Amino acid sequence: MSFPILSLLILTPIIGALTLSLSSSSQLKNKTIFLSGLWITTGEFLLSLLLPIFYDKTKNGYQFTEYHTWFDKFDINYYVGVDGVSIPLILLTTFLVPICLLCSLNSIQNRAKEFVIYFLLLESFIIGVFVSIDLVIFYVFFEAVLIPMFLIIGIWGGENRLYATFKFFLYTLAGSVLMLLAIIYIISKVKSGNIELISDFTFDQQVELILFLCFFASFAVKVPMFPFHTWLPDAHVQAPTSGSVILAGVLLKLGAYGFIRLSLPFFEYASIYFQPMIFALSCVAIVYTSIVALRQLDMKKMIAYSSVAHMGFVTIGIFTLTQDGINGAYFQMISHGIVSAALFLIVGVIYERHHTRMISDYSGVTNVMPKYSFFFMIFMLSSVGLPGTSGFVGEFLVIMSTISVSVYLTFFTAIGVILGASYMLLLYKNVNFGDLKTDIKQLADLTNIEIFYFSCLAFLTMFLGVYPKLLFEMINKSISISII
Amino acid sequence: MINFYQFIPEIFILALILLTLCFGLFNKDRSIAINAVGFFILTLILINFGKDFYNSTDLSLNTINLFVLSKIILSIGSIVFILLSKRPLKNENLYRYEYILFILFAILGSFVLISSDNFLTAFIGLELQSLSLYLMAAFNTKNLKSNEAGIKYFSLGALSSGFLLFGISMIYYDTSSFYMQNLNNFTTISEIGLSLILISLFFKVSAAPFHIWTPDVYEGSPTISTLFFASLPKFASLIFLFRVYQELNISGIQSLDYIFKIVCAISLLVGVYGAITQKVIKRLLAFSSINHIGFMLLGIMCYQFMSEGTLFFYLIIYLVTTFGIFAVLLNLRTVEGEFTKISQLNGLRFTSNSKSISMLVFFFSLAGIPPFAGFFAKFFILSASITDGFFFLSIVAVLSSVIAAFYYLTIIKNMFFNKSEIELLDDNNKIGKVIFISFGLIITLFFFYPDPLINLVDNLFK
Repeated sequence: MSFPILSLLILTPIIGALTLSLSSSSQLKNKTIFLSGLWITTGEFLLSLLLPIFYDKTKNGYQFTEYHTWFDKFDINYYVGVDGVSIPLILLTTFLVPICLLCSLNSIQNRAKEFVIYFLLLESFIIGVFVSIDLVIFYVFFEAVLIPMFLIIGIWGGENRLYATFKFFLYTLAGSVLMLLAIIYIISKVKSGNIELISDFTFDQQVELILFLCFFASFAVKVPMFPFHTWLPDAHVQAPTSGSVILAGVLLKLGAYGFIRLSLPFFEYASIYFQPMIFALSCVAIVYTSIVALRQLDMKKMIAYSSVAHMGFVTIGIFTLTQDGINGAYFQMISHGIVSAALFLIVGVIYERHHTRMISDYSGVTNVMPKYSFFFMIFMLSSVGLPGTSGFVGEFLVIMSTISVSVYLTFFTAIGVILGASYMLLLYKNVNFGDLKTDIKQLADLTNIEIFYFSCLAFLTMFLGVYPKLLFEMINKSISISII
Repeated sequence: MINFYQFIPEIFILALILLTLCFGLFNKDRSIAINAVGFFILTLILINFGKDFYNSTDLSLNTINLFVLSKIILSIGSIVFILLSKRPLKNENLYRYEYILFILFAILGSFVLISSDNFLTAFIGLELQSLSLYLMAAFNTKNLKSNEAGIKYFSLGALSSGFLLFGISMIYYDTSSFYMQNLNNFTTISEIGLSLILISLFFKVSAAPFHIWTPDVYEGSPTISTLFFASLPKFASLIFLFRVYQELNISGIQSLDYIFKIVCAISLLVGVYGAITQKVIKRLLAFSSINHIGFMLLGIMCYQFMSEGTLFFYLIIYLVTTFGIFAVLLNLRTVEGEFTKISQLNGLRFTSNSKSISMLVFFFSLAGIPPFAGFFAKFFILSASITDGFFFLSIVAVLSSVIAAFYYLTIIKNMFFNKSEIELLDDNNKIGKVIFISFGLIITLFFFYPDPLINLVDNLFK
């Protein structure tokens, strides 16, 4: 039995949250609470850095596995492990959570203790999803993520937060209960919840189609794919900045991760059978939501719609069922996790100073906030997919892999890139250039803390854009297994 | 030759009743302590010697285990209930020792009901239980709503007893016997008779479409009585329903099987649709209990997976959650009196940490969201029903639980997001506080370490 690093990763935030909740809140200042939260999450990040260091890229299968029986009577086990597909996402999570806490230092004033506690719980649940290789605990973590997120949006959100948080919760729950039924059916057939065993099992073709749709319902809501995406703009607009960051950065990836980890290996036949449907939905998502994003007046809403479009690339890439496609989709996931998180932070910074998110309220910001405009430009270009930034690699690979499927698909995907460039450039132009409005003259430029986390994120985007091999080395082997 | 050993639990309660009757005349304050101790002794006796009582009977081991386990649960539940009841009764100026007597009679009736083989005995048990419940509903004689609740409950309950008796007489006409095991060949008459009996039992457990009394009675009665209706007698009736289903092999009779499935589906749906618009928390809990009854009926129908275990797991979790929620509600009072409206929960988060967090745990558990034990309760029921091939009912069940999540979330929203409008008085009831905090912990711990509970329900049915 080796060092239980994965359990430690799950437990550290929970223990931190428990310790915080036991301390009496009246004596602690907000700053102390945030600092202790930061210490815990930074420690967690350093701990998670051990994973890529000790991960053996040459081996197949899961590593760092831990196995404990949870229920004696049934085959429900606490079985965790990681492979190349999960490690980058775990790192992304542990990297983004301290940033979320940093960016809320000033904006969250009331009930700071609860805020930190919910974030810590959220972090451990998300990591739980990425490390579990038993279907039941996968579902448990997948569902448990909803509770802290529900509270975060509901307590610290904007005016219309109740509507948004209920919509978020019920949409996701409705999708995932169908997955629960499918999971129960699979376990009753295979007599095990072990993901590896289920991958080897072949279902009846008709049954497999239904099971695929059940899983699809859950993941498509989470990604979100086209007809199920309407909760996302609401949730983003109402959520506090940190909530948006974690939502766009990590929670959306849970769905795509589910497709790669569960849907593809379990349902080979159905994945091919439903390929056209998913391509169609993703194309609609890319083109339609890009056009919708063009017309948005609210910055956060625009970036939320752009998230839907970018996740459309991810689903297309996954269901091309080629190594390049999935690699590209995965790269796009990570890149989108960094870039969209950064863009939401960008909006959060300016919202904190001027208390409005309307694009028309800003003009000529670059005159008073040059550093801000600089970082904005980096992330905007990365979101557009400029070569040299991380956004380029993923989109390029996905578009390349679509040619093997259909040229029309390539055409629509490429249109998405153009539309994406147009709305992002429009946003950037309207906010940063033009005449300086009088009421934004006194806006202060970035503080040192903000410069710190923006430069971390900017460094990552540039680095991944220039040297994507780092990520591909990690995921290649694991992804090649999940392809049929 | 009648073997008196098997009546020891019932005789014990009868002795408690007599003791309370005599003692209560002189010193009514002590009756609660006496009965709590009495039920504690009864629990110990049942745990240690429970199975020996039935050794000389010709019952199967399975049935004996069922009897013993459900009686242990009932007597533990009675301890908790009796301890909880003192403070709320005093607050409402209802503290009389007769109330404890009604509890005892109802529990005695439940004991008789659970272990009856004979339809007439079952009728006596059910009536003994129900009569006490009618009185408990109307116990607050100065309150108009309480009187209304009592009368409604009584008149509708009497109707359902009529159904029961009519059904029993039809079965007697057919088989010339009151015993369940003599009912082997089903003619049309005995099928009709059995369906009437089922209807009466559905009424008792408030399964839709026989649920109309539930919201009114729940709302009108004193809250402590509502807790009792929602928990122990319902549990006993459900166990009897389960026995009828098993021993008469109802799944084999097509018409009755259809009735069962339809009632299950309707209960699942009516429960959630009724609850959505409710403003009064007890009415909401009434409808939510109908939804949960739907899940329990689904559990009754399943036989392959873990057999009775799924049902018992669900029942125990449900009982613990119900006790927890009501312990919180009983601990809250407004200036005007008992706490009623959901909106009065607004801002509970700011006034009391322990109450709001316990409520969060209980309602997320009822909604079946991990990491709380309610998730596994639902998970097992669904596993059982999918293993047995009830796909349609499973889909109805999960969709209903999504809708149910909406109104549970509304309550949590009121507690956590809204600002408080009126001042809630903290009752500062130490016993109540201990109960809801420990039950909240139990609900959370059973999720992470459910083995004790699973072994309990599983070993008993091996």
